[in-house]
Amino acid sequence: MDIKQQIKTLIQEAELYRNQGLLKESKIKYNKILSLIKSNAQIKNKETLMTGITRKIVAIDNEILQLAKAPSVIEVPEKIQDLIKKQFAFAAKDEDSGAIEGAIALAKFGQFDRALKEFNLLLDKDAVRVVAAKNIIRCCMTHATVEDAVAEYEKWLSGDKFSSIQLNSVRSFLGDILAKKGITQTLSPVPENKSAADQGSAADEELPEEDYLDISAIKITLEDGPQKGKALEFDVNFQSGNVLSLIISCKDKSLIENLDVGLKLTNVQFFSPIAIFEGSGIIAEKTQIGTGPKSGDYSLDIKILSTN
Amino acid sequence: MAIFNLKNREIECKIVYYGPGRCGKTTNLEYIHKTFKKQVTGEMVSVNTEGDRTLYFDFLPMGLGQIKGCDVRVQLYTVPGQVQYRSTRKLVLMGVDAIVFVADSLEIRREKNMLSLKDLQDNLKEYNLSIFKIPLVMQYNKRDLANQGMPLMTIEQMEHDLNRQLKVPSFEASALSGQGVGVTLKECLKLTLKSLQKQTKWS
Repeated sequence: MDIKQQIKTLIQEAELYRNQGLLKESKIKYNKILSLIKSNAQIKNKETLMTGITRKIVAIDNEILQLAKAPSVIEVPEKIQDLIKKQFAFAAKDEDSGAIEGAIALAKFGQFDRALKEFNLLLDKDAVRVVAAKNIIRCCMTHATVEDAVAEYEKWLSGDKFSSIQLNSVRSFLGDILAKKGITQTLSPVPENKSAADQGSAADEELPEEDYLDISAIKITLEDGPQKGKALEFDVNFQSGNVLSLIISCKDKSLIENLDVGLKLTNVQFFSPIAIFEGSGIIAEKTQIGTGPKSGDYSLDIKILSTN
Repeated sequence: MAIFNLKNREIECKIVYYGPGRCGKTTNLEYIHKTFKKQVTGEMVSVNTEGDRTLYFDFLPMGLGQIKGCDVRVQLYTVPGQVQYRSTRKLVLMGVDAIVFVADSLEIRREKNMLSLKDLQDNLKEYNLSIFKIPLVMQYNKRDLANQGMPLMTIEQMEHDLNRQLKVPSFEASALSGQGVGVTLKECLKLTLKSLQKQTKWS
């Protein structure tokens, strides 16, 4: 194939890939064209051609950048939120646990405002109150700030919805998260026999959290890379069953590069409000946060593989 | 797993279109929405991000009429194909009854197809499902691009890459024109209903 035909074919391919949304593939083809033109002395209008191709590459780079900047979480219309609630709440044993599952599904799809509304409504139900409260705290940690989470606890403490047992459970959950974050703020203690509602059960602890303990923080000992042997502690921002979400600051570049999806972590300590245990995990997902106060930081999902 | 509502005599099953980014999963659903009007029972819902890429899922509800006095409803979903949305794909897969794996025929997407199939296998495993046991249909999409002189993989190569061990029904398709979309869905529905028959011990 002569050089002219070769370039023509490559341009056709590059354009089609671009139309298909395969931007990286398109860019590779355009770069190939550029090298071909550069290395071939026989081509006429070399400079004009190269300028045209370079413009295309710049335009593709811009498109790639736009895609990278696109938020990974968006607020969807209420109709779609209703659909998420309905379609992603499985195996609910009763109305209340169904409602909890629906709200958790909303949170999992990043619909935090609506999820918070739903969890707040569920605080009125004794059977799922603690689960709802813990999920409110998790939503605050992911979507808002630690201060918001603490403010929620203080609000519950001054109200009369929660029994002492329930408040102690929530306090222990939140306190552990704060401790692991290195925040020294002392949470107001729960008065004994706070209200007549004290008979309210803490049995909700056993409600549908997929049989996994709440993990508030983890300690990972790295086995490879520049930080080999170093033990690092992270707070858990969100937990869904055996998957823990952590936030890593974008400043920890070498660490972020070291923690790739699929990396097995064989030496992990899991901190829960009632016990510390050891085990292993695997990095299931690494995403750069596109919006909000933690924009630019990384969200890391670690799946618990085993515990001792 | 299919949901049986004995009170309303309804069976609801979920089919998920899986595959790498930009392979044509949403295009499949759009064509079904446009063409199978009689069976489609509601609006198609899409949650997209920049560049028309699926962010969460597409959703299309269908009705297949009655079997043994029960209304059979099918929900079609797509997953976001981009690698970084693994947890969303896993969420969408929850409760899946059958899968259409849409593979991109473009030669340059060969590795992405294989990685996506592996990702599907891993995600199914997390729900204790086996890719070898779940009703699964393979679709080799974008065959029409051969007419534009684009380098495509041969069907033999795609079968070897993706279906050598699975040995599931496979179809050539051009989702944009609709070629192969209906037959893929029909085969998947056939496998889903067969599997339901087994589950319910219908004869």
